[in-house]
Amino acid sequence: MKRYSNRLYEGLKRISLGSAALLVVFAAVPGTGWAEVPNAVAPKGAHAGDDVPQPIEFPHDVHAKINQINCMYCHTYARRSKVAGIPPTSKCMGCHTIIATDKERIKKLTEYWESNQSPPWKKVHDVPDYVHFTHEKHLDRFLFSNEGMDVERVSEVCAFCHGEVKEMTVAKKVKSLNMGFCRRCHEANDGPSDCWKCHK
Amino acid sequence: MSGNDINRRNFLKVMGWGGAGVALSGCDMPTTVTLEEGKETVVSYIMPEEYVIPGQGVYFASTCQQCSAGCGVHGRVREGRVLKLEGNTESPINTGKLCQMGQSGVQAHYNPDRIQKPMLRKGGALVEVTWEEAAAALADKTGKDSSLNGGRAAWLTGTVSGHQSVLLQAHLEALGSSRHYTHEVINNAVATQVNQDMFGEVQPTYHVTKAKVVLSFGADLVGTSMSPVHFSREHTKFRSAPRGVLIQVEPKMTLTGGNADLWIAAKPGSEGVLAMGIANELLAKHGLSGDALPGGLRDSIASYNTDKVVEITGVAKTKIVEVAKVLAERSPSLVLTGASTEAHEHGYQSVAAAMMLNVILGNIGKTITSSGEFPFPQLTAKRGDMKGLLAFAEHADKGEIDVAFFYGVNPVYTAPKFLNLEQKLDKIPFKVVLTQFYDETANRADLVLPLASALEDWGTHVPGYLPEDKIISMQQPLMEKLYKETHGLGDVLLSLLKMRKPEEYEGFADYYAFLREAFAAIPSDHKGGVGDEKFWMQALQFGVIPVNVAERSIKPTPIEADLPALKEDISYPFYLVPSAHLGLWDGRHANLPWLQEAPDQISKVVWGSWVEMHPKTAARLGVENGEFVRVESMQGSIEAPLYTHRGIHPNAVAVPLGQGHEEYGRYAKGRGVNPLKILNPVTDEKTGEPALYGTRVQVAKAPFDEKQKMVRFGGSETQVGRKLVASITADVFNRTEGA
Repeated sequence: MKRYSNRLYEGLKRISLGSAALLVVFAAVPGTGWAEVPNAVAPKGAHAGDDVPQPIEFPHDVHAKINQINCMYCHTYARRSKVAGIPPTSKCMGCHTIIATDKERIKKLTEYWESNQSPPWKKVHDVPDYVHFTHEKHLDRFLFSNEGMDVERVSEVCAFCHGEVKEMTVAKKVKSLNMGFCRRCHEANDGPSDCWKCHK
Repeated sequence: MSGNDINRRNFLKVMGWGGAGVALSGCDMPTTVTLEEGKETVVSYIMPEEYVIPGQGVYFASTCQQCSAGCGVHGRVREGRVLKLEGNTESPINTGKLCQMGQSGVQAHYNPDRIQKPMLRKGGALVEVTWEEAAAALADKTGKDSSLNGGRAAWLTGTVSGHQSVLLQAHLEALGSSRHYTHEVINNAVATQVNQDMFGEVQPTYHVTKAKVVLSFGADLVGTSMSPVHFSREHTKFRSAPRGVLIQVEPKMTLTGGNADLWIAAKPGSEGVLAMGIANELLAKHGLSGDALPGGLRDSIASYNTDKVVEITGVAKTKIVEVAKVLAERSPSLVLTGASTEAHEHGYQSVAAAMMLNVILGNIGKTITSSGEFPFPQLTAKRGDMKGLLAFAEHADKGEIDVAFFYGVNPVYTAPKFLNLEQKLDKIPFKVVLTQFYDETANRADLVLPLASALEDWGTHVPGYLPEDKIISMQQPLMEKLYKETHGLGDVLLSLLKMRKPEEYEGFADYYAFLREAFAAIPSDHKGGVGDEKFWMQALQFGVIPVNVAERSIKPTPIEADLPALKEDISYPFYLVPSAHLGLWDGRHANLPWLQEAPDQISKVVWGSWVEMHPKTAARLGVENGEFVRVESMQGSIEAPLYTHRGIHPNAVAVPLGQGHEEYGRYAKGRGVNPLKILNPVTDEKTGEPALYGTRVQVAKAPFDEKQKMVRFGGSETQVGRKLVASITADVFNRTEGA
């Protein structure tokens, strides 16, 4: 048993060293984490997204993984609106007037804040204008109205479409988010299939 | 879809072979839509307002400024941007509805051709300057230390009302001038004069919904009436059960005419005679009382026997008899007039004859009631008309004006050629144009002040036509200004006032501060028992301030209509109908692509001008649909493609208003023709209002062989035998289905 685990560990290590993209494909296979979300079939498919340089290399891993901050603490509009929202600069400064003020990234953030500007973040995830997608409805289905699901585990639901963001620094698109991706998930999870649900 | 091998046929084949599964796998193919990661910037708030949720709309109430009807609007605002306008349900004017011009308000706001900086004429050319420099030029020319003789300063504006009007009058007072000229092409100046003389007030309230019959002499209820949305709503209610009868008399079918039960094309200019003929029928055949009429008028009516009226108007006797019968049988009714009756050489008489029918039919007090005494006369609308422009031009020509301010008008575009306005404007040494767009008038200005859009500005409005419930309509900014160097009208007026009377106006930081103080000064009996702060908040929340008016009643004094015989003109046999439609209006919306794209309600033409003519007339002249024709008056000629339609009098030729701009941005410039340019100097004798419908023209095939496709929505006037809408004649219906 132990030997088998070691082999799996070695194998994973090799893959992670070899190709980050492949790892993403691997991670997308159900059964490696998200299958635990009850009453849900995680969407399949992967996308090798571009690296998107951001004005500040925001470390999602430090926030979401190491410090265990709930995704919705910063992306507070996700449960209330179509869009999850980029956190307002004031929210960043709520912590970072005290925490880690000596770090380069925080100094840059403070500069933006003091010059009354928000960092010009680059958009990573998007759907065309003719697609009506709402975070609110999806969070309701898979999180708030999902029996046996805990709000603390929201990142597993986010990961359906955004991948393991808590393993990333700046976000990267790892799901195709095209119509096939959406449709397959809607079929698997009994989501609406009327054209106008999304194309209104 | 270029660069993609899937065309429609192949797509259908795929669908046929594999069904939905295959089609859906097609959805994974690369799309033509690029959603490249990291290309777009997504800017977060620095410190969000509590009520703001990105992705969710917040609604604010304001007032539409696309025409002077003053409809209330709700603007949907998301992430600090206004996205959509709809009608404000609280406004009694439009009760939650909004027309296509109103909907297009967002395009006036986001228009790429907006002026973003003041422009000052230097060495013959307009150059961009800062507001400081513009203000310095204004102070130099109009300030209290300037050499300006204040009495020689003038304002030429469109219809203005509310507190902007108060400030404008204050500015004139501070200058010591009484020169406020108001100008609107689409107006009802002649009708308001008749109302004043006959009913003792400029604008009584019309109750279309209470009438069982509406006889409209050219009043375009569902189109370009004085309050388009209001009268469209009234028309809808009037036509729902029990269905009212609508009879429309006009030379060219409007949308209202197209909806009428009976559409009558009287000979242009003979509408008054038709009204007299109907009056004669009513008195002689249906026993209605003419006691309320002066003796002379009764005699005059008696002289218009039906045969004579048939001869003058060209309307069939059966129709005259039928109209009189319907009016006599269904009471109350309502007789209204519009531009095609009013804007003639003897328009005043024609309108007087038509309104006299309301007296005979006993409609006064039923479908026409007094609008009461509005408690704030200083806020009521200063209505524009054409004669305002004439007076302005005359005074400019005489060299009586040294400084002129222009707001809400584009006289260089709307002035007929005979007025020679450009030359007369040159006699005004300093012309200041307040505008959002670089139009023909701005092109001749010495100083152009860029205005904030209607969705960025403060204001109060009292429209010229108010329904039964009287209100002041509130205008508030729906979002931050797009361009820092634009200013609202109120703010510009305040700065002008500070240049003349600093001691009185220095206290107001901006127009908002002025409005707050003005609202505080409104007597408490108009505030419904709430304090100043709540009153203000309510005004912002609901967008309207209900106003109690003192009731009045109307005692009509009918006017003796003296209708001279129509003059024939052999060289210019046709009447020019400069038709207006709800869209481009008087040309002010030609820069809004949505309205250029919206087809004319009758001809379905988009993005251009056309000449509308009866098919018989076209056949007689040997011109065909789509061919260029030349319409020529004594003042000049215009050419546009021909559109034949049976909804026009054979003696009339219609050319729509709105196109033919030489400036006014990328969407308007160099497109179509402007019929106002070739108007003859004909005026209504009584009121002096230019007779827009009184110009005689000749028509011929254009002397060049240009073929330009007239772009029309739809294309075919017939069903090409396909029986898409089956119809039978009334005779067959009565025989087979009728009682």
